[in-house]
Amino acid sequence: MGTAFRRRRDGSYSATLHPAEIDLLASLVGQLLELLADGEPQATGPTDPLEHVLDLASSDPPSDPVLKRLFPDAYVEDDAAAGDFRRYTERGLRDVKQRNALVVLGALEQAEPARRDPDSRHVLNVDAADAEAWMRALTDLRLALGTRLGLEQDTEPDWVDDVDDPRRYVLGVYEWLGWLQDSLVHAVFR
Amino acid sequence: MEKGGTGGVVPSVAVLTGLTLAPASRVKMGHVTTAPVELDEPDLDEAVQTQSPWITIVWNDPINLMSYVTYVFTSYFGYSKAKAEKLMLDVHHKGKAVVSSGSREEMERDVEAMHGYGLWATLQRTDD
Repeated sequence: MGTAFRRRRDGSYSATLHPAEIDLLASLVGQLLELLADGEPQATGPTDPLEHVLDLASSDPPSDPVLKRLFPDAYVEDDAAAGDFRRYTERGLRDVKQRNALVVLGALEQAEPARRDPDSRHVLNVDAADAEAWMRALTDLRLALGTRLGLEQDTEPDWVDDVDDPRRYVLGVYEWLGWLQDSLVHAVFR
Repeated sequence: MEKGGTGGVVPSVAVLTGLTLAPASRVKMGHVTTAPVELDEPDLDEAVQTQSPWITIVWNDPINLMSYVTYVFTSYFGYSKAKAEKLMLDVHHKGKAVVSSGSREEMERDVEAMHGYGLWATLQRTDD
């Protein structure tokens, strides 16, 4: 078992993880990037050249619940205003989320075997300037997994005690991401 | 919100099979907009109703960590840790909290920022 994020003397952050954990995180971030790219908002149509030039996203909310959680409506009871807001902001938000994910992937690729137990411990370094991108990307991953798991209340889902339910494993991944993120937040925010 | 991960789990990559992050295809709503793009123009009502500013509301969700939500309120709004913690607890216990107020434009900026952080935020008039 590795150690979660700690602040180093030079102001950067480091965590020591099992190589399988590094691979898992890279796989999840890859899936997040795929999700953000696949669900790319469509321009409203080729008949609308101005909109194309302005690079505006569609005003329709995404049908995928995960994308809908990553890009929620900004107005509760005003669909037109929510649509306008979405058109002007969604593409920019998507770009930011993609950049954050790429920052995480870059750091994962740089992880190196620790001096002690190099087979089971790899050291992950995160520059101070990248810590927020990490926190945001871990949030997006947890929002994606949590939404797929249908976590809607502050209580545990009813399938959590069913040993045969495959979602329990995913819940384990989700909780592990929470542990990692919480350690980074506390290391940054003292 | 969550109190923080429990740790101790070393999951294997294969467990994600069958429950990936891959999206359902985005449903197009089936219509093509041909109207010209409307650029935001100042709303006369807004200019008059200076006493009725807009507010940004952050809503509770079961996923975001309490520590992270507090961090966001200090980092983005520049609030003290005490104020940020109070707002976070309001979100957690009351289901929502007003985190900022101002013009509609300013609130749209704040809501966009909150969405960038992964928080669930909306804006509305104060008298709603």
